[in-house]
Amino acid sequence: MSVKAILTDTTLCTGCEQCVAACKRVNGLGPDRPYRWQLRINDLSATRFTTILHRDGQSVRQQCRHCVEPACVSACLVGAMQKTPEGPVIYDANRCMGCRYCMMACPFEIPRYEWSAPVPYVRKCTMCAPRLAEGKMPACVEACPQHATIFGDRDALLAEAHRRLRAGPGRYVDHVYGEEEVGGTSVLMISSIPLDFLAARAGVTDQPLPELTWTVLSKVPPLALGMGGLMAGVFWITQRRMKLQREPEDRDREPRSQAAPGKADSARPIEDGRHK
Amino acid sequence: MSSRQTAVKTVLWTIMGVFAVVTIARFANGLGAVTHLSDAAPWGLWIALDVMAGVALAAGGFTLAATVYIFGLERYRPFVRPAILTAFLGYAAVAVGLMYDLGLPWHIWHPIVYPQLHSVLFEVAMCVMLYLTVLALEFSPVVLEHRWFDRPVFRTVHRLLKRATIPLVIAGIMLSTLHQSSLGSLFLITPYRLHPLWYSPIIWILFFISAVGVGLMMVTLESCVSAWLFHHERRADQLAGLGLAASVVLLLYAGLRLGDLAWRSQLRLALQPTSMAALFWFELAVSALVPGVLLAIAAVRRSARGLGMLALMAVLGIIGYRFDVAVVAFSRPAGASYFPSWIEVAVSAGIVAGAALIFLFFVERLRVYPEEPRAEQLPVAVRHIDPYGTRPLLPSVLAVPRRYSMGFVIGAALALAFLPRAGWLGATAMREPVSPARVVPGVVRALGATPGYHLAVMSAGAQDARVAASVGLLEIDGNRDGRVVLFPHDLHEADLGGAQSCVMCHHANLPFRRNTACAGCHRDMYSPTDVFDHGSHAAKLGGNGGCVRCHPNSELAKTRATATPCDRCHADMQLAGSRVRPARTFDGRTISYVDAMHRLCIGCHTELHQKEPAKHPADFALCGNCHRDAIGSSFQQLAPYAVVEHDVPSSTRVGG
Repeated sequence: MSVKAILTDTTLCTGCEQCVAACKRVNGLGPDRPYRWQLRINDLSATRFTTILHRDGQSVRQQCRHCVEPACVSACLVGAMQKTPEGPVIYDANRCMGCRYCMMACPFEIPRYEWSAPVPYVRKCTMCAPRLAEGKMPACVEACPQHATIFGDRDALLAEAHRRLRAGPGRYVDHVYGEEEVGGTSVLMISSIPLDFLAARAGVTDQPLPELTWTVLSKVPPLALGMGGLMAGVFWITQRRMKLQREPEDRDREPRSQAAPGKADSARPIEDGRHK
Repeated sequence: MSSRQTAVKTVLWTIMGVFAVVTIARFANGLGAVTHLSDAAPWGLWIALDVMAGVALAAGGFTLAATVYIFGLERYRPFVRPAILTAFLGYAAVAVGLMYDLGLPWHIWHPIVYPQLHSVLFEVAMCVMLYLTVLALEFSPVVLEHRWFDRPVFRTVHRLLKRATIPLVIAGIMLSTLHQSSLGSLFLITPYRLHPLWYSPIIWILFFISAVGVGLMMVTLESCVSAWLFHHERRADQLAGLGLAASVVLLLYAGLRLGDLAWRSQLRLALQPTSMAALFWFELAVSALVPGVLLAIAAVRRSARGLGMLALMAVLGIIGYRFDVAVVAFSRPAGASYFPSWIEVAVSAGIVAGAALIFLFFVERLRVYPEEPRAEQLPVAVRHIDPYGTRPLLPSVLAVPRRYSMGFVIGAALALAFLPRAGWLGATAMREPVSPARVVPGVVRALGATPGYHLAVMSAGAQDARVAASVGLLEIDGNRDGRVVLFPHDLHEADLGGAQSCVMCHHANLPFRRNTACAGCHRDMYSPTDVFDHGSHAAKLGGNGGCVRCHPNSELAKTRATATPCDRCHADMQLAGSRVRPARTFDGRTISYVDAMHRLCIGCHTELHQKEPAKHPADFALCGNCHRDAIGSSFQQLAPYAVVEHDVPSSTRVGG
């Protein structure tokens, strides 16, 4: 199956929030509530997987970007976050242990937590993966009355995005957001304003974030073995040196130099002081 | 037992009392109820202090083990046992702290069955788990020395464990190297979220080296505290040696950190007058520069006070480093902040207190500090006559435990007294009081061919040829957050049939008022409001004698659920022609403002659209038909009125 994606054209979005309503309906999210951790009622939350941000007269839809190489998936230590071959990044609540490293790792600050629940789970957009499996579109795309957000093969949508950029120079910032950032995302955006504010910090490069981890993580086995070898070597040297120091005295007394290095240690009074 | 120990343990037990209460609150009501964690700060005090700093402080275990067993520096042997015990308790504390911080702590074993080799946290989890086992094995010979275990089978185990010392020590060093550095590697994946003064491709090396340094300082500090607590002689020579080693390591850490920033040309960020730069220098000075430089001076190292203070400083500084990385220097959306709740602090303190009590338990009963024969020094408990009561009848040894119990109970009572509402009842949504809609002068502009209107707030005296009529607009923005619905009240009235139409929406009025606004009863934006006034009802019905009017069944509890529904007496609650149908079991609680508005507006609009689709096309019933304000306008500033126009409407149709 080809990689699916969503393309959102913010110049077409009127901010009607039909996508939000559809998302809430399909995912059974219920109303938003003004909890302590809710900066604004219409921020992303455990009950709102997509929302409309208003910047410079534009309506910009915020949702999980479904990165091609997702940081959250790389971060998850139990495989609760998974990247499906079709594109969506999905979440398996049965595996999650609630460490929230995915929330820390996401460069777009997307995953949300059910803070109010005694048994909390991570919540975020899944690109309606269950609906995709049934051959349907994501609910938000289906609901959009302006066709500002559309769904299809990632390659086809990239071509469409570039076609629009060419067709209306001046209408758009000449950049398809999500084509290259952090190795590409499955949610593409074109806009008349820069969308850098969607990332935690401007200046996001094309480097996939999991690579940053892997460059170090792949060094773990040699690092561990090297450290172990180094310690064993140092131990051998110090023992040998001690033995050499002791030998002149030992030669006069009983032949203790035969003892294994470990035993030489345990022969010390401190170590051997069992209560009787 | 000395009075110092008794005092310290009483304090620790008091903290444990607080800890017990907040533990129940934490697990009964969830993280949101008792912490200040949020989507903007997913990791807080518990991860920064209990896990990241806790692991760093426990680095003394593998450092000292390496020093003595591997490098053969025998004169540090007296520090090995306390260091390993500290490390063991430190890691146990990490595990306990994790149980509080994890949302689903009963899944803590999942990394074993769902291993993810690409995750740094997986590596950390495995290493911590294995190292905890290694530390338990490394320390268990000390336990087995106790006379209770003086049996052949335990002697065999003891002998085997002693023989395994060196492999265990080397395994411990390997595991420690891995996860001490990996705790730094956790942040490699956050280049856009961690502040550039803290983010570094070599953050894992910085974490490892700073852990070695703070591990040495922790052993030093602990030795100073133990000497004070147990009236030991301080081992000045060895402590000075540890101080010198720590000085070298801490300066290495500071140099590497600054060098890395300079190498990547980020050092200029540290030289700008920003609060983050100030924090950076403060943290680096406290954690490494000041202790590193001062400990390089022999006289300072040898002074008890100097060494102790600098060790404490370095320990706090490295805790600060971990805290900065996990919390302070980590990006948050504008407006979001994090400061730990007192319950978070209490849990952290409780875990430390628990570890300290277990430490003292072992020190009092086992040869943790090997060369001080301690049991003989314990003063014999003195029996004393208490002329007032029962105490002489009890074994005097209970006198001190009773004091600890008292501390525990006082701690628990204090915690109960200060437990916030959410700690009892779980997290609840905040109140958002509603203000009534405001009338603003507006204009209505016909849209030419298409039916409907264009509404706009009019600036005073503004001239506009396209204006069809002036009209009073109701600005519905209940919580004044800048999101507003413009409601042409007069046009609705005209379209719906004049004065008779009022009751369609204004379904109830507060006493002595005409045309109560929606906000009069639906007083909270998102939560239900109680509008029932018990006092005035009781007075009207003749005081206590009137109870039965509403609470007819004396056997049932007098609650809303068992009371007579309001409309049994107030027959006029349901006006003829009203669009609003209060529930038959209306009990005095109104729905939220948002719900009330939505039900009223959406119901009517949807119905009209279905009835006359030609006159009322689909978007007549869409959210955007009314919510068309948010783009580029702010209605917070009303005077002097600026022309604030809506975007070009596809249709704003009011009635027709």
